[in-house]
Amino acid sequence: MGIAILILMAVGVLLMLTRILPTAFALAGLALGIALISGAPLTGAKDSILTGVLQNGAVTLAATMIAVLLGSWLGTLLDQTGIGGTLVRKIVEFGGERPAVVALGVFAVSILCGSITGSAPAAMLAGVVGIPAMIAVGLRPVAAAGTVLMGISAGSPLELPVWQFMSDALGAPVSEVRTVMIRLFPIAFVVGIAYVLVQTRRGARHAWAVQLDRPKARVRRGDAPWYALATPLVPIVLALGFTVPIVPSLLAGVVYALVTTTRWGDLNERALRSLYKGFEVAAPPIALFVAIGMLLAAVKLPGAKTALTPIVAAISPSSPIFFVIVFAALVPLCLFRGPLNVFGLGAGVAGVLVTGGIYPMTAVVGLMASYNQVFGVSDPTSTQTVWAAQYAGVRPERSMLSTLPFTWVVGLGGMVLTAVLYL
Amino acid sequence: MNDLELAVELLRDTPTHENRTGEQLRSWAQTALEYGDELADTDMPVDIQVVEREGGVRKGELLLAEHQRGTVIVYTDALRRTEEVARERGWAVTRESLRRAAVAHEVAHHQLDVRELNRRLGHTARLGPFRLRGHVAGADEIAAHRFAHRRSGLAVSPLLLTAALAGRN
Repeated sequence: MGIAILILMAVGVLLMLTRILPTAFALAGLALGIALISGAPLTGAKDSILTGVLQNGAVTLAATMIAVLLGSWLGTLLDQTGIGGTLVRKIVEFGGERPAVVALGVFAVSILCGSITGSAPAAMLAGVVGIPAMIAVGLRPVAAAGTVLMGISAGSPLELPVWQFMSDALGAPVSEVRTVMIRLFPIAFVVGIAYVLVQTRRGARHAWAVQLDRPKARVRRGDAPWYALATPLVPIVLALGFTVPIVPSLLAGVVYALVTTTRWGDLNERALRSLYKGFEVAAPPIALFVAIGMLLAAVKLPGAKTALTPIVAAISPSSPIFFVIVFAALVPLCLFRGPLNVFGLGAGVAGVLVTGGIYPMTAVVGLMASYNQVFGVSDPTSTQTVWAAQYAGVRPERSMLSTLPFTWVVGLGGMVLTAVLYL
Repeated sequence: MNDLELAVELLRDTPTHENRTGEQLRSWAQTALEYGDELADTDMPVDIQVVEREGGVRKGELLLAEHQRGTVIVYTDALRRTEEVARERGWAVTRESLRRAAVAHEVAHHQLDVRELNRRLGHTARLGPFRLRGHVAGADEIAAHRFAHRRSGLAVSPLLLTAALAGRN
């Protein structure tokens, strides 16, 4: 039965890779397939296909969905109030004579954007102005895209919706997820800076180049007040410094953004418009989280657990050293929607590792967070990579080649950290 | 459109300037063009290597030349494409003059002093209580285009050619 489930998973990966099925649909189909192979009954109160997998599984990540929605709302506000654009413009105005300063500044803004929201919306927040601005001061287009992506990924360990996702998906308390993420952040931050410095040390590149079909930069919305520029810090300071729960932390960020940028009479309209836009932005990840919830419920079914645990236990390295070597070598499997992509089949794999008791919960969180650092930057099929690369005028695969040596180091660092601390 | 108007359009299309006033952009464009003129009149030794290569016609981008670490790469396929566009518009542009302009454009980037250009532009960047001399993105590109025009003897302005290639005129 275990082999049959693995074959089904391989077929699922193939369907996602070849884009025959969107990831969310493929994962939901996998959940159903695994439940059927596991011999789960169609109906029943618990562990059945209709109730256990479809009904309960769909809402397993409900808290994550709310966090993603609020993150998207705040991201939309950063855009609509001009906070994101102002941050980048100020960096160009203040540091434009030195390409390295501009690149490091955009990298820092990208971290802030990445700590609020993820995927393409985060890349757009920092990149719409940041990418052409970096190219204008002499960065190569591939490096400009890579700088934004490395920044967003470095912000990912501080992204509250990601904490909630790890917590919901793996059943870990948020406090434990936070501990792992805070320790991962310095690695992503330092390697990100190294990427920027290596790229800028190659010397400024100037070109007589004509952009034929680059999307027009968005209409400038005017400068946001300087004190509003602290908005991205509000949720993370509350969550990290004052251990405020995730939802109120994000809500505080929303309120701060609104109050510091919007006239009293316009508050309601702006709040409502940006919230509705936030729903649009959050729709793709929420659809994915519904499917991932079903998949997690399916791999936790008694039949699936019994079938998969011995296989996964047999192939999972037990010593910390082999843990690092094997899982670092498997990094490419989180790319191209591969089986270790935590926002895909990787969530199911993580679920098996946890429910089977193969590794401690925190180790699985560290492992998946490490893969997320690679996937978030280098996967040429992820929306942020595709958007940033194409906006810079390069192929996503070139962006992958530029960033992968660095993100692999981040992933490796995360795994070493995980092995040392939690195994 | 004359060079000043084209330079204003170039600035307007550059991120960070979307909402600046026409008057402000015009003033900056004028200063940048004058700086390009001044640079072209200066007889500075040019220590630069020029190589030719194909590969400038890319998806979404036409790359005529680029400069990094003292080497200028001129993309011959992009020059051919530019020559075709110029011919369609009845402009007497030769491949050789285009090549000279492409090289001169990169030589300008090699020689121009961005700090000096920013000083002349006189832009002050502000963030709350902080005020510093600000950078004007795109101004160096205008100066480089003017320098290239003056040094290459190209029949039409590189600014006009760029706008034509981008389909803006």
